[in-house]
Amino acid sequence: MTKDLLARILAEVAARKPLVVATDLSTGAARLVHPFEPEAGLDPALAAAAREAAARDESTKLERPGGATFLRVFNPPVQVVIVGAVHIAQSLAPMVKLAGYEVVVVDPRRAFATEARFEGVPLVREWPDEALARIGLGRRTALVTMTHDPKIDDPALAAALRSDAFYVGSLGSKKTQAARRERLRAQGFPDAALDRIRGPVGLPIGARSPGEIAVSILSQLVMALRAPAAPGASAA
Amino acid sequence: MTSDALYHEALLRLARSATGAGRLPAPHATAERDNPLCGDDVVLEVSLEDGRIAAVGHRVRGCVLCQASASILGAVAPGRAPAEIARARAELAAMLREAGAVPAAPWEELAVFLPVRAVPSRHTCVLLPFDALGDALARARE
Repeated sequence: MTKDLLARILAEVAARKPLVVATDLSTGAARLVHPFEPEAGLDPALAAAAREAAARDESTKLERPGGATFLRVFNPPVQVVIVGAVHIAQSLAPMVKLAGYEVVVVDPRRAFATEARFEGVPLVREWPDEALARIGLGRRTALVTMTHDPKIDDPALAAALRSDAFYVGSLGSKKTQAARRERLRAQGFPDAALDRIRGPVGLPIGARSPGEIAVSILSQLVMALRAPAAPGASAA
Repeated sequence: MTSDALYHEALLRLARSATGAGRLPAPHATAERDNPLCGDDVVLEVSLEDGRIAAVGHRVRGCVLCQASASILGAVAPGRAPAEIARARAELAAMLREAGAVPAAPWEELAVFLPVRAVPSRHTCVLLPFDALGDALARARE
């Protein structure tokens, strides 16, 4: 690998862009592939394999008639955006960190989003539309809303549905979810988009306490990331 | 108090009208107020002419109560003296908290907030734009 290639990889990783480095195992020649951006002239077999490897977050070897290519995946870290600095968020945020993901809590209500309640957790005390535009939502983003206040939850969900976020969840009862669905439908989101919202959120493990509910959300999130084909892993 | 009674049609219409929403080209003063408990956030710009309000511009991130209140200010505040705003604010607070009378013309539209009397936790939502304008006017005098 040349110094120039390494510099480009570091720059892409710093910009949080998913990246695959394809190395020809007979010649050692390496090149960058952006797995989710079409590139003219790129071998379709390589493009498809790079895309699949990035989606699975797993480096792999691609065998082609011309020889073998190693596909090394550089994915940006998973980031979990929690909208609502509520009691359950106080349990979920540290659990997300322990699971090895980045976490950020967004809540414009300064009385809730305090350092004392969220020690060591990045807090953004802004409205979701502003905060999320800056944070940036991508394929490696999970977002879950927790405020129960439509004026805060709805814009966050709308931003998530317009993004490629792999997990979108919303705390609230079945009745709340139905009302929310109607409001977002009125904003123009089709059923297929609304079906991405997991609500009631979390795996059905009988969770009651804030900590248990956080476990059910985190485990559902891991399932969406690591085992999206498993029974019960999809949102709808 | 059902939410339908609180958010009645006249109130929703006022909120949607967003009268006075936007930025002023050259405001004399700007003030921002937020409610740390519900997240409502109001930025209010004001320009003055001969000691009276020439124009207001507001940006509201908040509930419909807050939006409707800002709309009323957008419609009524231009042409008023700062003291009139302070009096309207005091009368509005009294209407909400002490079952006081609806402020007299040109503020009679504040009657849309009568159902909010029963919900003390939401009084701040209604008063927030008035407080932001009060701050902006105080700043403009400095």
